Amino acid sequence: MEPVATSGGDGFQVNGAVLLRAGSLIGFGLVIGYFALAAPGFLSVGNITNVLEQSAILGVLSFGMTIVMIAGGSNVVTGGIDLSIANNLGLSAAVYAILLKIGQPDVVALGFTLLTGLGIGLLNAIAVVAIGILPLIATLTVMNICAGFELVITQNTVLQASSPLLAVLAGDGPFGIATLAYLLLIVALVLIVVIQYTPFGLRLYAVGGFREAALAAGVSVDWYIATSYILSGICGSIGAVLSVALLSGSSTGSGDMLLSVVATALLGVVFSRRLVPTISGSLLSVLFIGFLINGFQLTNISSYWVNGVEGLLILFAVATTSLVRRIET
Amino acid sequence: MINHFSATQAKGDPVLTMHGIVKTFGGVRALDGANLEVDTGSIHGLVGQNGAGKSTLIKILAGFHRPDAGSISIRGMHCQHLTPRRVEHLGVHFIHQDRLLVPTFTVAEAMFLGAEPGIGPIPLLNRREMARQATAILRYHFDVRLPGGALISELTPAERQIVQISRALLRDPAILVFDEPTAALVRQEVDRLFEIIRRLRAKGLTTVYISHYLSEIESLCDQVTVLRNGVDVGRINPKSSSTSEIVSLMLNRDIEEMFPKKAVSVGEPVLKLNKLSARGAFIEISLTLHRGEILGLTGLLGSGAKELVKSLFGLVRLQGGTIEIGSDRTEIPSPPSAVAKKLALVPEDRRAHGVALQMSVRENMTLASLGRFARFGFLQLSREKATTNELIRKLSIRTASQTSPVRDLSGGNQQKVVLAKWLSRQSAIYLLDEPTVGVDVGAKVEIYRLIGELAEQGAGILLLSSDLLELLGIADRILVMYRGQLAGEFDPGNSTSADLLSCATGTSTLRTGTETMAPAQRTMLGKDRLG
Repeated sequence: MEPVATSGGDGFQVNGAVLLRAGSLIGFGLVIGYFALAAPGFLSVGNITNVLEQSAILGVLSFGMTIVMIAGGSNVVTGGIDLSIANNLGLSAAVYAILLKIGQPDVVALGFTLLTGLGIGLLNAIAVVAIGILPLIATLTVMNICAGFELVITQNTVLQASSPLLAVLAGDGPFGIATLAYLLLIVALVLIVVIQYTPFGLRLYAVGGFREAALAAGVSVDWYIATSYILSGICGSIGAVLSVALLSGSSTGSGDMLLSVVATALLGVVFSRRLVPTISGSLLSVLFIGFLINGFQLTNISSYWVNGVEGLLILFAVATTSLVRRIET
Repeated sequence: MINHFSATQAKGDPVLTMHGIVKTFGGVRALDGANLEVDTGSIHGLVGQNGAGKSTLIKILAGFHRPDAGSISIRGMHCQHLTPRRVEHLGVHFIHQDRLLVPTFTVAEAMFLGAEPGIGPIPLLNRREMARQATAILRYHFDVRLPGGALISELTPAERQIVQISRALLRDPAILVFDEPTAALVRQEVDRLFEIIRRLRAKGLTTVYISHYLSEIESLCDQVTVLRNGVDVGRINPKSSSTSEIVSLMLNRDIEEMFPKKAVSVGEPVLKLNKLSARGAFIEISLTLHRGEILGLTGLLGSGAKELVKSLFGLVRLQGGTIEIGSDRTEIPSPPSAVAKKLALVPEDRRAHGVALQMSVRENMTLASLGRFARFGFLQLSREKATTNELIRKLSIRTASQTSPVRDLSGGNQQKVVLAKWLSRQSAIYLLDEPTVGVDVGAKVEIYRLIGELAEQGAGILLLSSDLLELLGIADRILVMYRGQLAGEFDPGNSTSADLLSCATGTSTLRTGTETMAPAQRTMLGKDRLG
């Protein structure tokens, strides 16, 4: 009995993903390198922690989006996506600010804020899983619901908020580094462990990777998809708390973040060997965008360029990953 | 979780009983009171044509579908509501035809999905343990060494199959259900699979084995249940009865009718190739295809035969040589230009570029040739309907109506719809790439008849097939390719599959097998893959 050949495909497929990943990392490095030369102080500890702090909100939202994309699969049209996540932040932030304003303690305000996010996630889950609406459409409508409620309760104004918790969050932690920077890394670390190193995470990937295979393995597919939306909803409200801390109040126009969230979650795919969304990949792409924006500011490039660049990055991520996937199959 | 129940089950008692199972999909009765009784510790074959209800029966057993009526008992337990999880708890495991493995998973992840080992009480994946056990079980049962980090998408079909079987073995199954397990395997791997199944039987494991290859059923199974039109029409011992008995039960018809003979006189040439070459695929191929002729073409994977057919449809870039259609020298740079020159290709992978599942049978059939049904830019429904009716009748497609969505049809019938789609355009030259692969015996006969009719109407047919009996049965001439060149031309009247095979493999001392088609096909693939 000779051993069966142990080839791994024809080699090219593997190289496609590996090249893309290497290329993306090099691209990331080149951008950092350019700004390091062009903008003195770009690589200073102060500036780096500043970028981390500024990226915290986008990061947490991006993680939520990533989880939904993991469980929903890679199809850009029918796969998992949570378009409501940015407006979830807006509504949750408004809830937090209002509860503080009417004199509720932090615990109560925080609890209700997280409940708001959870409720929005639940609504998405019901629309997608129980009713069976395409995620793109389901979360789009929930996005509108969030935006509407936010307008109703804030009358489209900025609500100032302050509390002991907010003071801690907005301040500096150990070594004079911003608390939000620590929080971004802590949330990322926790989610990396949960998503990439537990049976729960593995099953989440199975559900998105090949639904029938997950079903055949006895995984309750619907439950996992629903959970992904609920986790995403909670990420939205965590982002809201960070946002209230950073801006000392609620803010209007949170929906503008959506493009960045989608961009970073999609871009994160190119940082993984298997071309799947990962928390670590999304963290990298969030930092990439953060450094990019920061570099623009330091080199006096208009921030109006940011949107366009993000659009290009989405195009790049979607085009290259689908190209590599096509070569593979 | 090792065989808690098997102690109470004596060998020979039924370990699995499905009784009077009825299931209807969108008006089509897939199962109409089917019974299946499997003895403990036996290897039980389940055969039937595509659409006979095998897949539906198995999907009900797997907990994917809920039966409309009937009862199921597994290891003495009466099961009312089967879910995939419950079935797995009862010790029933499936090796699915579709190889249900997540492509982005590593071998170890795919094997342990659903039953991942943790690190003590901490709910973390024990990747090291997973990799160790995965490697060990692959070595122990299959003598296969796969790198632990290899992704499923990087594996060959055979390797994926092996991973799936290992996945089931990891869970100490009591009943293993194999659904067409050998479709992607080469001869040696099939032998090893059989050896494993027999070894598992010796340990008291029960196997349900579903296959199109009757020779496999004959050599492996203790009992066989034959399904036809959603009912079990026989439960026989293959050791004491012949394959043809099973076939006639499946078809309700004799095997002699398998290859419908046609008497068509071959006309003038429609396609002439002169020293056609494509880089890395084939060199200086010259051949002539005539009106009314079925020209068989065969060769191992990598012989260039498939590329030759594709190049005629503009899918492979040519390097040199000339193509003449009718008497005009021409070039075929792209599929649209091929269609314009009245060439039609029936691709092998029909499921992938095949049907639109949510569209109706009629829409699917006429989609590829809407131009024929249009007048002044509007579709003529009456003509569409008439053509569809004719195709449904010709191919014996089991569907509730023309407007039923294709997804309601069984797999075999879906395949027939795809075939009908390509055949509904009227072309002068048909390039058929494995038109009967994965199709059951009954549908094969219908497809052969259809090919015969096309030839009768004056079309030239280039039939690429690795089913040698099929070529011998219906082709007028057979060309064999070997390493990119034409290696021989055969007259089906006085050639055997052994002749074709030795030509295709470049040997002359090859033993060939039996009268059934599977082993011949197998040996070819096997030689190609491993030789």
